[in-house]
Amino acid sequence: MSPRWLRRLRQISQVVVFLTFVALLARAVAHRPGALWADLFTRLDPLLMIAASLSGRVFLSGLLLAAGVLLLTAALGRVWCGWLCPLGSLLEWLGPRPDRRAGRRASGCHKQPPERWRSAKTLLMVVMLVAALFGTQALSFLDPVTIMNRSLATAIGPALRHAVFAAEAFLYRFDALWVPLDALHRSVVAPLFQGVQPVFEAGVPIALFLAGLVALNWWATRFWCRYLCPLGGLLALVSRRALLRREAAAGCAGCGQCASACPVGTIDPQKGFRSDPAECTVCLDCLPGCTPGSTRFRFRLPERRAAGAWEYDPSRRQVLLAAAAAAAGASLAGVEPVTRRTPARQIRPPGASTRAFDALCTRCGACVRACPTQGLQPCLLEAGFQGWMTPRLVPRLGYCDYGCTACGQVCPTGAIPGLPLDQKRRARIGLAAVDHNRCLPWAYGVACIVCEEACPVPDKAIQLEVVETTGAEGEPVLLQRPTVVQALCIGCGVCEFKCPMGGEAAIRVHAPTEAGL
Amino acid sequence: MPAAALPTQAAPSMATAGPASARTSEPGLLPSPASSAAPLPAGQCYLAAARGADPRAITGAALAAIGGIGRFVRAGDDVIVKPNICVDYREPEYAATTNPQVVAALVELCLAAGARRVRVMDMPFAGAPQAAYARSGIAEAAEAAGGIMEIMNPAKYREADVPDGRDLRSVSIYQDLLSADVVVNVPIAKHHSLARLTLGGKNLLGVIERPGLIHANMGQRVADLVSLVRPTVTVIDAVRILIDNGPSGGNLGDVREAYTVIASHDIVAADAYAATLFGLTGDDIPYVRKAAALGLGTLDLSSIDIQELDL
Repeated sequence: MSPRWLRRLRQISQVVVFLTFVALLARAVAHRPGALWADLFTRLDPLLMIAASLSGRVFLSGLLLAAGVLLLTAALGRVWCGWLCPLGSLLEWLGPRPDRRAGRRASGCHKQPPERWRSAKTLLMVVMLVAALFGTQALSFLDPVTIMNRSLATAIGPALRHAVFAAEAFLYRFDALWVPLDALHRSVVAPLFQGVQPVFEAGVPIALFLAGLVALNWWATRFWCRYLCPLGGLLALVSRRALLRREAAAGCAGCGQCASACPVGTIDPQKGFRSDPAECTVCLDCLPGCTPGSTRFRFRLPERRAAGAWEYDPSRRQVLLAAAAAAAGASLAGVEPVTRRTPARQIRPPGASTRAFDALCTRCGACVRACPTQGLQPCLLEAGFQGWMTPRLVPRLGYCDYGCTACGQVCPTGAIPGLPLDQKRRARIGLAAVDHNRCLPWAYGVACIVCEEACPVPDKAIQLEVVETTGAEGEPVLLQRPTVVQALCIGCGVCEFKCPMGGEAAIRVHAPTEAGL
Repeated sequence: MPAAALPTQAAPSMATAGPASARTSEPGLLPSPASSAAPLPAGQCYLAAARGADPRAITGAALAAIGGIGRFVRAGDDVIVKPNICVDYREPEYAATTNPQVVAALVELCLAAGARRVRVMDMPFAGAPQAAYARSGIAEAAEAAGGIMEIMNPAKYREADVPDGRDLRSVSIYQDLLSADVVVNVPIAKHHSLARLTLGGKNLLGVIERPGLIHANMGQRVADLVSLVRPTVTVIDAVRILIDNGPSGGNLGDVREAYTVIASHDIVAADAYAATLFGLTGDDIPYVRKAAALGLGTLDLSSIDIQELDL
């Protein structure tokens, strides 16, 4: 196969894998049977699976899939990064065009970051795995699969939906268009986006984070993949012993085409255009430009030995320091108040309290995506620094749907157990309380029963007590006042969501009691 | 807090109705002049209540008794059937959502009468519409009958004036409800702690963008909404009725099997009749009373021609 075709094959692989990733995520909503596949990429991710297994002290079935990726890397090098990784593909597509890149480099106006920064990703990986050993996955939010899940679920997807629906709403103003618009909405728009417009408290910061990673491409192409990605750091370690390696052969004319084509900048003109197998993503972009006859750049299967050392390889001292930093960070986590008392408004997904949720959650965001009401939101600092990007229910934005088990189905680590519907309906995630100072009937004598109406518990966890009060003109008025029945309330939060008070609801769900009720 | 003690099985008046016999309650009287409903063709009753074990059969019989679906649907008509699909977590036996066989029977009748298309839609107040359509059993039954389940599109709500409204002056409403040739209103009769009962009038909350608006001064505002939508025909599913813990229920102990379907062009009369299944009258339900006061139908069941059929 010609070099050009090999490269085309890689590009096709990137597109197919990326679309698969998006499709799995798009399908991952409550009532679709395909929701089970939503965690496929998380299970394929060796860094996440090792970290979650270490932190949760469990053997996760996903480790077997992830082991496959490690074996693939041991055989072929970092093909995950060059051929498969959805974030890597996105960063490649959104980077500067190759010709401009070459031009800028030639003109000398463009200064690349120092080579030693490449060790950062390996050290970050060490920090993550050592911290996981101490029981925290707080840094898993830096894994590329979680970044993509989160960005698509809370920022890109909702923004796209907003744009499509805004365009549709405009077109619906013209009566003549209703027939084709109805057909389009029915066949494409509704199946793709469905449900309600998702809103996320963390949506803008998450989008800015991704935008920052894209912007770094203009400093150095695939900046994230070269210097920062902790999964890349793990795969780099494995691919030092990869069987398939790039070789710079004799007869090279020294034109430097390959060096300027290399998106990770690992082909070094100073070293006879050799490259580091730990950095190479096997993208094959160096092959097509290489003048035939004058060189024999090729990938071949050499004898089984590790690649030589490079000046940026982390020293033993650096690795020990990273491990020490992880231990210090994990110890510091004990300082956070969240370890003593559950924050008042920290409501975890159903069943999570029965498991070592904090240790098992990989921050992958699959539950956030699958939640049909967008009640599940990634935490910012509500659960402490250590709970950054873990899911919590925000009832004012969305409730835990009484007919849904999606979050438990898509969770790749069992942090949210996959409860059957009847058990999930009994799982107590919080407790509602009426605010007598704001509730329409309690505070103002105005009739309202919306919370009771919405309560899905068969015997109604909100009861209406009938009292006789005095109306505006002194006349006796019968009024229904809502009261929460503690023994029945499961904390689903639909009452808080539906409460017609402006701003904060007059009935709110808080963390469950500490009395184990 | 139970809404009312339920008479055994059905309304007392039904006990006198013989099998397969049509009884006219007041043969001499025609609809009250206060009613704004369509004139009643000769030989057809004003309101029919059919009772029997087969929901499809009693739906057909009730419609036939009021003059057949052809009285409302003409060839080429665009029809919307509006059932109650209030949540995504209750199967039909809990009587929180309209009986799927009743909906399917109506879809079939409309298509047989030559309707161009029959769409079925509601906006659940909890859960995703797709999930609610599926769990209620309505999606499967209605689609098998040839109907189209439409997920209500947020782009299609428009602010509309309510010219006859006393409190509700304008409301953002699903445009198709106003532009369709025929709207078949198919509520399930069930308990509601503020409205007392959810019947034909309150079922229309599902077609406006912000049903929460209706919860204040509910009686008047539901009546105002009825004056805007004016469904062509109201068919009340009382095959199973929910007598407590409405609107979503969840206890089979709160469900009674009344095996009845009520049909009339007059939404007020249909609601008033359905109220009797709960031991109440139309006058006990504020929105039914207010709708009658707006001239949208009659509350006085003794003044209209009622057929009660036992199948």
